Amino acid sequence: MTFAQAMLLAVLQGVSELFPISSLGHTVLVPALLRWHIDEGSESFLAYVVVLHLGTAIALIVFYRSEWLALAGAFARSIVRGRFSDDPHEHLAWLLVAGTIPVGILGVLLQSAVKALFASPIPVSLFLAANGVLMLFGERLRQRELAAGHPGYRTLAALRARDGVLVGLAQSLALLPGISRSGSAIVAGLLRGLHHDDAARYAFLLATPVIFAAALLEIPALFAPEGRPALAQAVLGCAVAGVTAYASVAFLTRWFRRNNLAPFAWYCLVAGLLSFVLFVTKVIA
Amino acid sequence: MKQFALALAAVFLIVAVLYWTGHAYPPGVHIKHAIVSVVLALGSLVWFRFMSAEGAR
Repeated sequence: MTFAQAMLLAVLQGVSELFPISSLGHTVLVPALLRWHIDEGSESFLAYVVVLHLGTAIALIVFYRSEWLALAGAFARSIVRGRFSDDPHEHLAWLLVAGTIPVGILGVLLQSAVKALFASPIPVSLFLAANGVLMLFGERLRQRELAAGHPGYRTLAALRARDGVLVGLAQSLALLPGISRSGSAIVAGLLRGLHHDDAARYAFLLATPVIFAAALLEIPALFAPEGRPALAQAVLGCAVAGVTAYASVAFLTRWFRRNNLAPFAWYCLVAGLLSFVLFVTKVIA
Repeated sequence: MKQFALALAAVFLIVAVLYWTGHAYPPGVHIKHAIVSVVLALGSLVWFRFMSAEGAR
């Protein structure tokens, strides 16, 4: 992998991890479309991807730093006390725990098998298109509910543990390369009655421990023989992924105050179908 | 249930140590499994704490 390719991958990771367009899907598709000859199964490539994920997770923690501090404090107080209270931060912290459980279980059990089965360009193209359909479908269902006189939006404080688990289950769809973690979680949040703004906030908070844990669990890859990426490249890649992820989350939190998932959904649908045609017709081998 | 939660935490901790030191099956160090076992042990301890507080009220 050349230095330019490494930096482009870092930018791609920082943007696509948080935009609802699937980072894993883009990590498979873009090198194939640009005809890069990279062995994506090699230890050094996996180690580099771990570093990029760490950068993204750190950016998310920094962006939501005051919220994480409040959540951690409320969570710890509830454990010390041994009972739940009405504190909204405590409620959100336990909601995040409830949402993380299905992702954790399914991730540990299925990630390697699913990745081995589907992480090649043709299935990824189809999953990316499916990701677009999923988001358009979610938006349409939500619009229909609102048009039918459904009683407005729920807040995060009104969600129950069951809702948190459902959003977590939806987020688990992102084990399929091409399905977006934030996209599926936002759609699930919308279908549980949240506004785009709150659905995105919950999705980003829920994604933070998952991305961080996934990176931590893969850290042994950094120390495997042949697994060490060039130090300067790794440090710079981590920083670039972090900065672009920070800019992405800052943009998206503003975007979802007034806008919806539709542009990202259409992008995924068109990009997925176009890639599928290019790979199937062997225009790109 | 309190005792069960505590026993579960102890079992998960032992499993974590076995995975970490490479004495679990299949042989070899399984760091991911060890970390997951530690998380499950912590979860069991939180459950124990909530049960204890409920018993004290």
